[in-house]
Amino acid sequence: MCMELQLGLALPSSPPIIPIKMFDLNSCGYEPREALGSNNLSRPLLKLGPYDIDINSSSSSSSSSSGGSKKRGFDGVLLFDENRIVPKTLPLLLWTNQPNDEDDPKDIEDNSSSANFKNDGEGLVGWPPVKTWRKKLRLQISNGGADNNRMVAAAENGCGGRASNSTYVKVKMEGVAIARKIDLSVHHSFETLTSTLMRMFGIPDENWNSFKLTYQDTEGDWLLAQDVPWRTFIRSLKCLKLIRSSG
Amino acid sequence: MESSELKRSKDSPNSDESAGLSSFPDEVLERVLSLLKSHRDRSFVSLVCKDWYNAERWSRTHVFIGNCYSVSPEIVARRFPNIRSVTLKGKPRFSDFNLVPQNWGADIHAWLVVFAAKYPFLEELRLKRMAISDESLALLAVAFPNFKALSLLSCDGFSTNGLAAIATNCKNLTELDIQENGIDDKGGSWLGCFPESFTSLEVLNFANLTSDINFDALERLVGRCKSMRVLKLNRSISLEQLQRLLVNAPQLAELGTGSFSQELTFRQYKELECTLSNRKNMHTLSGLWEAKGIYLPALYPACTNLTFLNLSYAALQSSELAKLLAHCPRLKRLWVLDTVQDKGLEAIGLNCPLLEELRVFPDDPFGEEIVHGVTEAGFVAVSYGCPRLHYVLYFCQQMTNAAVATVVQNCPDFTHFRLCIMNPGQPDYLTNEPMDEAFGAVVKTCTKLQRLSVSGLLTDLTFEYIGRYAKNLETLSVAFAGSSDWGMQCVLGGCPKLRKLEIRDCPFGNAALLSGLEKYESMRSLWMSACKVTMNGCRLLAREMPRLNVEVMKEDGSDDSQADKVYVYRSIAGPRRDAPPSVLTL
Repeated sequence: MCMELQLGLALPSSPPIIPIKMFDLNSCGYEPREALGSNNLSRPLLKLGPYDIDINSSSSSSSSSSGGSKKRGFDGVLLFDENRIVPKTLPLLLWTNQPNDEDDPKDIEDNSSSANFKNDGEGLVGWPPVKTWRKKLRLQISNGGADNNRMVAAAENGCGGRASNSTYVKVKMEGVAIARKIDLSVHHSFETLTSTLMRMFGIPDENWNSFKLTYQDTEGDWLLAQDVPWRTFIRSLKCLKLIRSSG
Repeated sequence: MESSELKRSKDSPNSDESAGLSSFPDEVLERVLSLLKSHRDRSFVSLVCKDWYNAERWSRTHVFIGNCYSVSPEIVARRFPNIRSVTLKGKPRFSDFNLVPQNWGADIHAWLVVFAAKYPFLEELRLKRMAISDESLALLAVAFPNFKALSLLSCDGFSTNGLAAIATNCKNLTELDIQENGIDDKGGSWLGCFPESFTSLEVLNFANLTSDINFDALERLVGRCKSMRVLKLNRSISLEQLQRLLVNAPQLAELGTGSFSQELTFRQYKELECTLSNRKNMHTLSGLWEAKGIYLPALYPACTNLTFLNLSYAALQSSELAKLLAHCPRLKRLWVLDTVQDKGLEAIGLNCPLLEELRVFPDDPFGEEIVHGVTEAGFVAVSYGCPRLHYVLYFCQQMTNAAVATVVQNCPDFTHFRLCIMNPGQPDYLTNEPMDEAFGAVVKTCTKLQRLSVSGLLTDLTFEYIGRYAKNLETLSVAFAGSSDWGMQCVLGGCPKLRKLEIRDCPFGNAALLSGLEKYESMRSLWMSACKVTMNGCRLLAREMPRLNVEVMKEDGSDDSQADKVYVYRSIAGPRRDAPPSVLTL
């Protein structure tokens, strides 16, 4: 039968399954370390037949590939411990203690694809098996903090949402029906922000002091903008409102 | 048919009863075979005899290559001279979860160079998990004057500049489908690169791009592409903009909305509702980013004929979902986030009797807060109401053996059963036993099972069950499971139709790996990472099976003798020459 594997088109041949129950390379004494863990539970009495492979030799002692003939056979029966013990629950740590885990939890916001073996904040790379791009999307939607120097706001009931990578924020003024939008990316201080807002709503210079700038943060609370540092303000702000200050 | 008629139809002088099929004129045979679409049927046909092999290869227009390294582009081009459509898959699936090193390979460029020479009339290219650069996209854009359809799923390496090249140059483009890719999004201006004279687009999916799109250009494009039937927008498109687009596209069959959370006036809301109503052709709805519950009713009139509803970007509550589903009687496929909780799943069971596929994604799988999500109760509730369910992907925090047994009893026709108990190695939370019996029930009851993903605390017994009962299983995914080599040996010794086996963090070592020696040639691939396989085991495998490529990915700081990640696949192209330094080919 033609054995060529053309694009996976070959009919799957029923492979003659070699009944290797346990073939422990470690028993050849080559590995520097003992086999770990659960092989203890059912260690076979290994009986190798005439075709057993000498892994120390450079060339294989078995016949080269030829059709579907068996590569090797095992004389007799591989003795096997029939009294298999039901294994006790393996401690989870056994399988999380892998070279690809890292101990320092990395910043979850670091989504650069160059960090291949990065910890996802949980000690296990790639678990649960949620696609990377889907994780990124959820982070962008739910994250109240800065992401690549852009504003990301959660869509909640207070201000409504906006496209998460846009730097525009809605601004309302007390007593004015129509809300406006302002691009925050061009501002780096309260002074420039306030003066822009005042001009936007047509408030003359002399009246600026009768207004206060407030904002709603990601938790829904309304706060005075001047009370917090600029960076905190930018990170947690969802929308703005100018209110008339008393006195 | 009279025997005399039979003789008349064989006009070749050499024909006699025993020549039979081989005397059948080639042109007729090719014509008949050209009607065969399934690539599996075609592969069987090609094995009948030499004449049929030749007729098949000349009549084939679409080639599907499940592993880009199993064959070389030159071999493909030599065998199939008339290909117009290519589907290629590249990286191992676990690359979706960051388990495959950067620059691993699966670069499309070498393929494109050969295609440009041998298939200048290429029309379609569908890629999954391939690396594709802007340079490659630029080549694609100019090398194939008839190019019609480009679909990129889970690919990476390109930016929106590459998309601009496609938009600018592909005059006959009907499909541009960009999904779930690692794309460098440099802005939305690429959409404006479609010339004003361009009107052929039928499928446009840019849902996974994040930046603001040039809306004016999009509006004009949608307006002039009268045959557009699939439009999937990204989050930058507001409800107002959606409204404007929809007005110009009454014939859409599949819609992916943009952001569903802009504040609307009452009039705007009514307008949207009106635009969405009477869409008898619409069978697929997705997007709904950040959907606000109060706007969902605008969708109700559009849902009458929906068969696929993708709510996996909308963190809905159970009541919102329930109200929406009441308007979706014909639903066959539903994707949701686990924010809908068990109550939401109950609503699914009550409202969607025709449901065939359910996917429940975790909203916040890495969050530190207490997550409620969905439990076994929701799973059972769905199974009672949806007996036709045959595909499930279910992420949950807890599960029981009894619940799974009930589910498969209610829904015995599962073909795809993917259960992810998110805490690795977690037992049945009521009985504290392993989840062996759950998956035992699955494989015993669901005889048509093709794909299985297991999770939770599992001993070798699970794999005994799988090997013994899962006679139609083709794809198996295993993580944090098993007790010894015996488990994997059971699978390799049973499961006659196994094609893809992917394993991570399991106590399977060399004995297990080597027990599948001959089996791997009938499989597409094997992945084993963080198991107990050693370099020597891999070398042995490579030496014994020259038609397999055995690749090992080493990690920094790991023991020299350990084979951290192993990827084994059959190939007629020999070992690959483009592996990065981190990938060792044995």
